[in-house]
Amino acid sequence: MKKTLIRSDAFQRLLLALVILAVYGFFYALSPAFRRYTTMAYICNNLYYILLIAIGVTFPLITGGTDLSMGTGLICYSLIGSWLMRICGWPLWTAMAATILMGVMIGTVNGFGIARLDIPPFIMTLGTMMFCRGMGSILTGGLSGTWPNYLEPGAGFRKAFRLILTTENGQRIPIPLGMVWMILILILMSFVLHHTRFGRYVISIGSNREALKLSGVNVVKWHILAYAVCGLFTGLAAVAYAGTFSNITPGEGAGFELNAIGAVIIGGTAMSGGSGSVFGTFLGVLLISVLQVGLPFIGLNADWQLLITGCILLGAVALDQIRGRKGA
Amino acid sequence: MDLMDEMILEMRGICKSFPGVHALTDVHFDVRRGEVHALMGENGAGKSTLMKVLSGIYRKDAGTILFEGKEVEFHSPREALEAGIAIVHQELNLIGHLTVAQNLFIGREPVRGVMIRDNDMNAEARKLFARLGMDIDPKARMSSLTVAKQQMCEIAKAVSHNAKLIIFDEPTAALTEAEIEQLFALIRELRAGGCGLVYISHRMDEIKEITDRVTIMRDGRYIDTLITADSTKEEIISGMVGRVIYEDPKTESRCPSDAPVVLKVERLNAGKLVRDVSFELRKGEILGFAGLVGAGRTETLRALFGADPKQGGEIWIDGIKTEIRSPKDAVKAGISYLSEDRKRYGLMLQKGVAENTTMATLKQFLKGVFILKRKEKDAAEQYIGSLTIKTPGADEPVMNLSGGNQQKVVMAKWLLRDSSILIFDEPTRGIDVGAKQEIYELMNRLTEEGKSIIMISSELVEILRMSDRIIVMNEGRITGELDISDATQEKIMALATRRDGQKGGAA
Amino acid sequence: MKNGLKRFLNCKPVRAIGPNRVVLLCVMIFLCLLFQLFSALLNRGNAFLTYERAVSAVNYGYFIGFMALGATFVIATGGIDFSIGPVMFTAALISGYCFQRYNLPMGAALLLCPLIGMIFGCVGGFLVSYLRLPSFITSLGLMQIAKGIGSLFTKTQNVSWPAETDPGGWFRKLSNIRIPLENGRVFNLPTGLLILIAVAVLCAVILNTTRAGRYMVGIGSNREAVRLSGVDTRRWEMLAYVICGTLAGFAAIFYVGCYTTVIPGRGDTFNNEVIAACVMGGTSMSGGVASILGTLIGSLMIAIMQEGILSMGLSISFQYALTALILIAVVFADIAGRRRKN
Repeated sequence: MKKTLIRSDAFQRLLLALVILAVYGFFYALSPAFRRYTTMAYICNNLYYILLIAIGVTFPLITGGTDLSMGTGLICYSLIGSWLMRICGWPLWTAMAATILMGVMIGTVNGFGIARLDIPPFIMTLGTMMFCRGMGSILTGGLSGTWPNYLEPGAGFRKAFRLILTTENGQRIPIPLGMVWMILILILMSFVLHHTRFGRYVISIGSNREALKLSGVNVVKWHILAYAVCGLFTGLAAVAYAGTFSNITPGEGAGFELNAIGAVIIGGTAMSGGSGSVFGTFLGVLLISVLQVGLPFIGLNADWQLLITGCILLGAVALDQIRGRKGA
Repeated sequence: MDLMDEMILEMRGICKSFPGVHALTDVHFDVRRGEVHALMGENGAGKSTLMKVLSGIYRKDAGTILFEGKEVEFHSPREALEAGIAIVHQELNLIGHLTVAQNLFIGREPVRGVMIRDNDMNAEARKLFARLGMDIDPKARMSSLTVAKQQMCEIAKAVSHNAKLIIFDEPTAALTEAEIEQLFALIRELRAGGCGLVYISHRMDEIKEITDRVTIMRDGRYIDTLITADSTKEEIISGMVGRVIYEDPKTESRCPSDAPVVLKVERLNAGKLVRDVSFELRKGEILGFAGLVGAGRTETLRALFGADPKQGGEIWIDGIKTEIRSPKDAVKAGISYLSEDRKRYGLMLQKGVAENTTMATLKQFLKGVFILKRKEKDAAEQYIGSLTIKTPGADEPVMNLSGGNQQKVVMAKWLLRDSSILIFDEPTRGIDVGAKQEIYELMNRLTEEGKSIIMISSELVEILRMSDRIIVMNEGRITGELDISDATQEKIMALATRRDGQKGGAA
Repeated sequence: MKNGLKRFLNCKPVRAIGPNRVVLLCVMIFLCLLFQLFSALLNRGNAFLTYERAVSAVNYGYFIGFMALGATFVIATGGIDFSIGPVMFTAALISGYCFQRYNLPMGAALLLCPLIGMIFGCVGGFLVSYLRLPSFITSLGLMQIAKGIGSLFTKTQNVSWPAETDPGGWFRKLSNIRIPLENGRVFNLPTGLLILIAVAVLCAVILNTTRAGRYMVGIGSNREAVRLSGVDTRRWEMLAYVICGTLAGFAAIFYVGCYTTVIPGRGDTFNNEVIAACVMGGTSMSGGVASILGTLIGSLMIAIMQEGILSMGLSISFQYALTALILIAVVFADIAGRRRKN
């Protein structure tokens, strides 16, 4: 009985939550600057786009596949969105819709190649990843992009992520409003995964695709949908990225999804497919974000963050192995 | 009784070809309501092709199918299922990560808007299980159930689709005797309810016990339909292979009583299924390991071979204490192990016959660091000849070979090694009668040459036919040892079901 | 037309090289002609199919090629290594830094590169092979660690390797030797290509004719079956990663031959091209099938594509897009061909 408790998924998530608290506490204790409220807001601000990609990629991972195109994809879409607004003069909301739509389109292309043409997910998404990397730069001529900033018209959309309240004595308090949306999305996607046919079939595809097919379900359709949803979240992440950062540099992005995938794995989703947890993904992203933001406060620069994140990833996988779960 | 005269299924003149192969030629098959009809034939006879044509996975080239009097042609398993034909496959089509109820209703979930009503599904499942007399929790995860229970779920799924014809493909391969009895009880109940049942199996005793008629196929053709009660095993087998084979048990040990002990295992402990196991193996002997599925036989021999970690135990080979911590050690010490699942553990499917054959003995084919491919091919061709492996060539990828021939390649691999101790784990599982004979003859030849064999088998007939001595296990322990001269199926069964602490006389 | 194509694909020499590779070669030739056409049309003054162009193009292919050769071994065992690019970078960074700051002789610096790669390969190989960690995640983690170490070692500063005329610059002769001719022009001898081909031949020999190669490919095909045949699979699987790491380190020499300055914190962008080269060449991601010749052709093709696209005056982004399309087309053709066979 005790053994099954330790091996249960819930236990792993609890452990992860404790680790996050421990790490946060570590930084808190060591650095007075870290304790400021703004740090917390900063952590939240940084994690929106990663969280969205991580939630999105959870679905292909559950089907036993992967999506490597999300990072370059999100940069590509937000660049194109910026181009649409700046050069073509589109209004904000239309450009935003176009950005998200592009994500869905490329996601569907991924899904089609993987589910219908039987191209291995790794290769297919590697292809779309390179394609996005190229496409974004080509269309914008290699220049960086920005979405409406500061006092420009349309900049109000940034408030959806970070609301800044000015108190009487002139203090500016940032409120991470985006977290509210994130939590809503988390609850929604968790519901989708466990209580809708889409989620049920996505899990089944990862568990035993043949069995699902023989049961008469149109597997190809749902498989493609899993990647389309992933694409949708990439599009949303593109909006979030544009909304939280001021500059979008082409050529960036390769590697975002690897961080996201790492976070998802730390959160307890197995790469072999069939199991996954949206909440676990959230915890994984939270851990990485806290580290990312906290390390500079104790004097360790970004390189150390890479090192430590790498070690944590290895540690999480090793722990998984010891607990007897199967990975990729 | 008049139910029996009504045909629920009639297949006439069915033909099906694939490029270069005539899989089915003019096959007839019919099933009556309330009948259990066996479909028998060697591997490659066309049984599963016929069923795939029926269930819509393949499209027939010619012939007619009448289901409940109407001509039908199904284009997908879903269509067949909706019409009332269900197959319970050998490889269960269940989704391990979902619960029992979720599996039962996969593809037809009750929804309210977008939300699946899991509670309703659970209630429905409970009702269904109650009706069928199955003790299964609908909320349990499918992967946590035993194979037998999973199979029950698969059958329940078929029943819940209101199937009027249920096809069982090798249903008892992974079941214990008790579970087989449960299955048969269910089959009898379904039969009484007017269902037509097709039973595909190699197991003679079961065919004799549960079926009403037997249809025999050979090489894609229809041979005959017999009434089970009126036929003998020999008649059925000869119909299948076209020749007569005797399956009599061995009466006395062929191993001389003064033969030296080549292998001695003492107090082997590995996990839950290998507890304090001790036994000996004599030179030239075939030692049969009998027991129910899950008794711990494979686990014991794997622990001996170093394939799985062990917590304790000592091994002596030819009187010398030997440390075996990995398969490499075991092979060096002169032990070979033909595993249970040859596709998963025995072969590199994409690679050719020659490459697979030399995998355990590659060092012999080296010159420095380079592999002598000519020598390798010659060795492979030698075994292709001596074991009559049906393959277009030594370079043919093993995945293109039939099950029996794949097994022969695995054997060739170990024969090349020339080990003195061979462990055969279910050597003839999933292999047709003709190839089985050849494997038995091979085993006898090996012992005549002085090799010693340990054979794990779940077929009592096979155990009684080949072993000189029999060791029976249950729940990880050895429950008894019998010499072949006084072994009977009943005695073995008694030992195989004897549990810890029960008193019982020895052989 | 379709029959003619089938007959072509089935004739003996084509089957010997592998229809995959032949298609790839045809694509490469087609691209070269295409680039030639474009540069003539756009009249940039330089034709595409010139010797200088070819040497310049191929220069880019060396380090990709060495990395891809190493990756072929890992992919053959059924694994994946995302850390190749960063390891190469780190090797270049650390060796270059030692040369610059600690006055390490150039010869030693050159030897240090593959050594560093080998160390990373050992670590990665140990984690995957002995501790049985999944290679996907493990190499992701190692990638971060490699990036971090490289950057920390050089204190986040760029590292420059010497130009040809500076002391120590002789290492560039390994990539290219410039021979002045009588009429004032210079003849470029692509020594890097010769070394690449030599190493490729060595790799092919290892993979196809030695016990090590047989076991490595066998592990990719069915690891458990090989283990139960009495082979110590851990040792051979680790060897694949060691070879991969060493070649990645070795590739660093040619990277700096091409680019001179190494910027810390990067390097993971090359992973995609390396994997694309392997897959295009016919090495299967699921393991058990590997082709050195295919990898070689794939690497050279990527190099030619880059050169060709630059010659058309387009930005490098087009190369990514084009590589992507070709990758998908080749894989799709392979799968479709296999399906037809079934």
